[in-house]
This record gives sequence, structure tokens and C-alpha cells, in this order.
Amino acid sequence: MSQLKAGEDQRDTDEAREAGEAQSFRIDRRTLVKSGVIAGAAAVITSKKTAVFAQGYPEPPPPPEPPLSCDPRPANSPPTTPFVDDLPIPQPAFPTILNPAPTKFANIAAGEAARDAHQAWDRFPPSVFYQAVAAPSLHRFHRDLQPTYLWTFNGQYPGQTFLGYYGVPALVRFRNNLPIDHPVPGINEITIHLHNGHTPSESDGFAGDFFGTGLWKDNHYPNVYAGVDEYGGIGDPREAMRSFWYHDHRAEFTAPNNYLGLNGSYILYDQKDPGHELYAPGSLRLPSYYGLTDIPLQLHAILFCPTANGRNEAFITGAVPGQVDKWIVNGKIQPKLTVRRRKYRFRVLNTGPVKEWNISLIGSDGQQKPMTVVAVDANFVEEPFEITNRTLNIPVASRYDIIIDFSQFAAGTSVYLREAQPQFVGVPTPDPAPGLPIENVLMRFDVVPREPWFPPDTPPIPDHLIDMPPPIVPDNTFEWRFTRDGSPVRFRINGQVFDHNRVDHVVLKGSSEEWVLANDVIAGNWTHPVHIHFEEGRIISRTHTTRDANGEIVSVDNVPLLPEELGRRDIYRLPPQDRLVIRLRFRDFVGRYLIHCHNMNHEDDFMMVRWDIVDSVEELTRRRREIDERRMLAGLPPQYANGNKKGRLV
Amino acid sequence: MKRRELFTGLGPSVCRPEVRRMARLIPNARFRTQDDKEVRFYDDLIKGRQVMVMMMYANCETFCPLATQRMVELHHQALARRMGKDLFMVNISLKPHEDTPAALKAYAQMHKALLPGWTFLTGDQYDVDTLRYTFFSHEHIGIDLDADQHAGSMKIINDKTGRWFHADVFASNRTVLDHIQWSDTPKSLAERLKDNQKLQQQIDRERALYGYRKIA
Repeated sequence: MSQLKAGEDQRDTDEAREAGEAQSFRIDRRTLVKSGVIAGAAAVITSKKTAVFAQGYPEPPPPPEPPLSCDPRPANSPPTTPFVDDLPIPQPAFPTILNPAPTKFANIAAGEAARDAHQAWDRFPPSVFYQAVAAPSLHRFHRDLQPTYLWTFNGQYPGQTFLGYYGVPALVRFRNNLPIDHPVPGINEITIHLHNGHTPSESDGFAGDFFGTGLWKDNHYPNVYAGVDEYGGIGDPREAMRSFWYHDHRAEFTAPNNYLGLNGSYILYDQKDPGHELYAPGSLRLPSYYGLTDIPLQLHAILFCPTANGRNEAFITGAVPGQVDKWIVNGKIQPKLTVRRRKYRFRVLNTGPVKEWNISLIGSDGQQKPMTVVAVDANFVEEPFEITNRTLNIPVASRYDIIIDFSQFAAGTSVYLREAQPQFVGVPTPDPAPGLPIENVLMRFDVVPREPWFPPDTPPIPDHLIDMPPPIVPDNTFEWRFTRDGSPVRFRINGQVFDHNRVDHVVLKGSSEEWVLANDVIAGNWTHPVHIHFEEGRIISRTHTTRDANGEIVSVDNVPLLPEELGRRDIYRLPPQDRLVIRLRFRDFVGRYLIHCHNMNHEDDFMMVRWDIVDSVEELTRRRREIDERRMLAGLPPQYANGNKKGRLV
Repeated sequence: MKRRELFTGLGPSVCRPEVRRMARLIPNARFRTQDDKEVRFYDDLIKGRQVMVMMMYANCETFCPLATQRMVELHHQALARRMGKDLFMVNISLKPHEDTPAALKAYAQMHKALLPGWTFLTGDQYDVDTLRYTFFSHEHIGIDLDADQHAGSMKIINDKTGRWFHADVFASNRTVLDHIQWSDTPKSLAERLKDNQKLQQQIDRERALYGYRKIA
């Protein structure tokens, strides 16, 4: 009885808090308009506009029959004819009106998952609202294949693309409508990470913050540049990032949930890259019409197997299989795309979970053709560079914006995107180009003349795209060692496996650090694509240690950085025995963030650590002392010396 | 609420009389327990149950005793109410040719691990390897062959939901318990909403106490 009463009291306080929250939100908007803040006014206008699109969502179709079991593991996927399907373009997401209205504090009474209050809510009240519903759906990966059971957002694979603007804060409501009882090894609990957004931690998709079927959660994306505290407004425009992607980050189950399709793209525009090709002050005028000349290419790989009910399911047991044999671009196997003789921008994304890609462009004469890389991991490079005589390596979760100039090819010819590792095709097909087996072809571009209605070519790519933010002067250094050792042998970071309740490093908001990422694997060939949440880093140097058969160091060599490593990155490819020195700054928001290997099978095997950003020096000192005390209890040497104010390491 | 439950397929379908979700994935090999009783791995130990599976061997001097000790500790701290009723513990010997049922019994007695719901298994090396690959394979030749590689990682199989989970035995007690709880059969939406509310209260409490989310 008393419990019941307590529950009622709680509900009352919740309602009171919500009411207060709604009230304050209204006042906020009003004051914004009154004070004439341009961004605020624009935000309100946009939010009124969204009413037009409120009916944009069709009724959800009934959920498909769950898949039947498809084991034993098939030797290969069914055969598919190359180049029969057109390349699908992921649909842009429509803004909508959310009911109940989003609130700063979690709306527990209406079924929102428990979370911290949105820390950037008052500074950047969201003005564009989206909804993404995770639910099962059927998708055909090829004309010759039967439908496949996937888990997708809003019923589409790849997920809808969110197109946003810097300075227009957005809020995405992720609803979980995944079935509670299902035979696939993914799990019906999700936590969505916007990779690599400058996102407050409660919206960052922390691995332990997942929520189950029937619940929902609002992720608040302020869409600001890093450096808000320093520069005011919406931050330092030199920190702009452009091609993001969102995906599930549930601890233990990131790989299966992503293999089943819970991911999509998220693109941000600003003055430099405004999403159109017309003249605009400060615009680089790169190919930018989404879906027309600016096309995301999401690379995925699946092993298909036929089932008794006439479907072709994605093969998966407990873990995601390593031996996948169908290369998929935007949800189709070996698609074709008709391109006009002009420049195109492709945002290539490796959605993983495990496979690394090495792509190149091959002409119909069998020769490699140039493609220009303009952005690496969402960041424009200072100077664009061409890939002419090597392949472009794309680790899991990495993004590359490449520009291909199709005006160098005659109309009526075809160009091919080549992947170094062959796939299984199964339909005898002659080599599309001399020296290019059909198994290596990812997709085909068919070049046609430009029709009058099609946007004309853009000016040449500028030699100099952006000015980098000023070099980072680190306050501290810290080392992260990625190993597979210990007793028992596990994937470890700094000798420990992931524990969502344990903080391994604490940094001060506004500070900067030099981090060493070291892959100390002695035997084996584990390459770890390391991902650091929240902030982009600059690679300072890369060294490789050569060891003899006994593990003794023979030499330590400085490895020259590739052009794609010179800019800012959020994925750091770490082959065995490599040490990478990077510098990062931690700005604007506080809370819990992660570092992990983005090979999702490793990540699910707990190759991940939690690190926190704190607000004040006092808190930093206290939290670092806590870590050292915990380490001493566990018999480990302390990480920080004497807890001094700067938290400088010894 | 009811409409949503209907729509998302929640509700009575969770409980099924005959649960055989993972029969095709998990080998049904013959093993012998510490009491020298013959059991079938799937039929007798996994079917319709929530089971923690660990690898060990009796002569192990490094992590096995620590892991066993850890789980015994957790058993007394938090799991005693569930163990043997809806939660079980299975330890499989990595060196079955060395570990007779008697040796396993001695090991269990030494670590005070003859507890309700606990089983120690020995059998054929081939079956042990098959099980190990089924649960712990990284599809990496050389790694998967090494007996030391996958110990310390505990698989939690829930045959009612048809999924397996895993946990690191050497994480903090709280974390291991979290992982066990995450593997529980999902409750009804109403119960989960109540849990969600409790979680929010816990978050708020933590914020007030420590100023940050100490526990994730």
C-alpha cells in the first residue's frame, strides 16, 4: 500500500516536472523570438514549417514473419546476376511533429527511457524533430534473391538520411518497435550513437544506456561546431564535420544489430558546403545535390542462405560471420548507377560490422582512373588528393567523401568500383574490363551525356579546401594500449576489459591531451580500427616496431603518414605493433564517452573503455583520485601522480 | 498501453510451454557431471533454461580458481535465490582427459562450489572443442585453437529467448550482475516501464550523491 502511494507521489512529481519543463520551453522560445536571435528565430520558423510534413509518415506495415533458421552455414550465398538493379538512394528523413512533445528531462510517464537531462537543451533548444522507428522489415538485396528479414529504421534499408544544418539543433526520437520474441541473434534493445557527432553524452548512445521494446528515447543533436565555449555562437566553423552516420551501440550486440541493418547516414551542411552547387559566398561549390550529384555509398557485406519459407536470410549464428561473400552497396548487390558526364560526390561509408574495404576506380580499358578524396571521416582535408595508383583503405565505420569526374569518360562507356577482395557471384560473366574479374566489382557507373535538365558541372575542385583549426598544444599525455593478452587471454585496453560501470580516464572540459594509441599484439594479425567518441583528433606520428621471432625489438621506424591521415579523424587504423600519437581537445559538453575498437566483433567482446569529461578542476582531482584508489585496490600502479591540478601524468 | 502491447507483439507470446529455441545451434553432446552422472548438454542442461557457461580445468592455477571463486561469491551475495530455480551454472572442463568426475568434484569441494544449480562437466575432447567453437569462436585460426583464449568470458544462454549473452567474470560484481540481468527473459511492458522509472530514480539519486553517473 505504502509502495503504491510512493509510486503515485512519484508520478505527481514527474508530471509537475514535465509541466514545468513544457512551460519553460515555451518561455524559452518566446524570449528567443523577442530577443531577435537569428538562429532562434530561424529555428521557430522551421519548426512551424514541419507541420506541412506531419502527415509524411505512412501507416507502418504489419511486421513480417520472423525468419526460419538457416543453418548449417552455407558454403556460399545464392548466385546473383551483376548489374541488374539500380543503385538505391537512401531517402531523406522528413521532419515531423512529435507527440508527446520532447522535454529536457526524461518523460518517464510517457515511456521515454531513463536518461540524464539534456545538458545543451537551454543553449540549443531543438527546432527540427524527426522520428526513427526501429522495427523489422523485409528487404530485397537483389532481383535474384528472395526478401531478407532485417531490422531497420522507418522500414528502410539503408536507414533514412538525416539532412541537417549547422546552427539548427535537431532532435531525433528513436522508438523501439523491435519484436520482443524473435529468433535472430540480435537483441531488441537499442542505444543509438551518432558517429562522430559533437553530441552531449546523454544523447551519445552510451553502450549501457539501451532501452527495450515499447520504449523510446529522444537524442538531442545540437548541430554545433566544437568550441562553443571558446568562440560563442555555434562554435568554431573550422571544426565542421559533414558525413556522419548513426547506428546501434548496444553492449555485446553491436555487431549483430548492425549486420541486421540498424544504421543510416546523417549529413550536416554549412556555409562552406551548403548542400547546393550555386554560387554562394564562402561555398566550395562541390557536387552537393543530395541524391542527384551527392550520393551516399554504404558498403555492407552479408552471407545469404535460403530458408524453408522461401526467403534468403542474412546468415548469423551467435556472432557475425567473418566469411561474408556478397558485397552490398546501399542495400543492393552489384548495382548500377547512371551518371552524367560531370563531377559527382560519393560519401563512402563502411557500416561494418567486420570487413575492411580497399576500393579503387577502374575504367573500361582496365586502367585505374583517378578519384579525388575531399573529406576523411566527415572532415574536409586541407588539400584534396587523388587516388591514382593504389587502393583507398576504408576501415569499419570510416567515411570518405570522394569526387569522381565522369567528364573524363566518353558517353556510353562504363566505369567500375573495384574491391580488392573477391566476392561470390555464381553467374558466369565475362570480365567487364581487361584484368578486372566480375567478383571484384562493387558497382558499375554508366556514363551518359548530361541532359539539359540535369545540373551543370561544378567548377574545378579548389586546391585548398579549408584552414585547419590551430594546432593543439596538449596539457597531458595518456596512453591506450590495445592488446590481446593477460590471463585469461582477452581483448584488452590498458590491461582491462570493458566494464560499463568503470571509468578508466577522466579529462577536464576545455583541456587537450596527447593520446598514444598502441596495438601491442605480438602474435596474430589483429588490426584495430580505433574509434574515439565525441572529438576529432589529429594524428601527429605513427611508428612501427619490428620484432624478431623471440619478440625482441629489432627496430622502431617512423612510418610516413598517408594523405588521408594528415587531416582530422575519428577512426584510427591500428595494425599490429603500430603506435599512433594523436592530439584531441575536449570541449563544450561533459559526461560519459567511449573508446573502442570498431571491429564490432571485438567491440562486443568488450574491447572498449569508458572515459569521462568533467566540468571543474576539483571534480577532476576527486575523480582521478577515485580511479587511482580503485587501481591500488586491484593491485595496479596509479595512473595519475599526486592528483595535481593539471592532472599531469608522470 | 494495451494497444501498443498488441501492436509490438508483447504479452502472452513470451511464455511458451515447450521451449526449444537453440536446439539447432547448441550441440547435444554427452557429458559426465561431477557426480558421474551422464547428461546431454542441450536436453538436460540448456533446454528452456537460463544458464551461465564457463570453461575451466581442475589443475588450472591461474584464472580458473579465481573465476570459480568469483562466481561462488556472487552466488552467495546475490544469486542464491535464483540458482537452481531459474538460473544455472555449468562449468566445462577444457582438459577432459585429465579431469575425471572425481577430480571435478574435488575441485568443486575445494572451492566450495557444490551449490544448488552448479554443474561441472567432463566428456570427450571433441565435444568440448565443438562447444567452445560454438560459443567463443572468433573465426581466427590459431586463436580459436588455443585453449587459454576464451576462458574468463562467461556465456549466459537463455533458451527461452533464443539468445546468448556474455560477461567478463573479472569485471566488478555489479557489472557481472548487470550482464546476468540483461540476459533475463524480457518482462511485460508494464513491468519494464516500472523498472525504467526505478532506473530514472537511481540516475537522479546518483547525480545528487556523486554529481555524475557513477554506475552506467
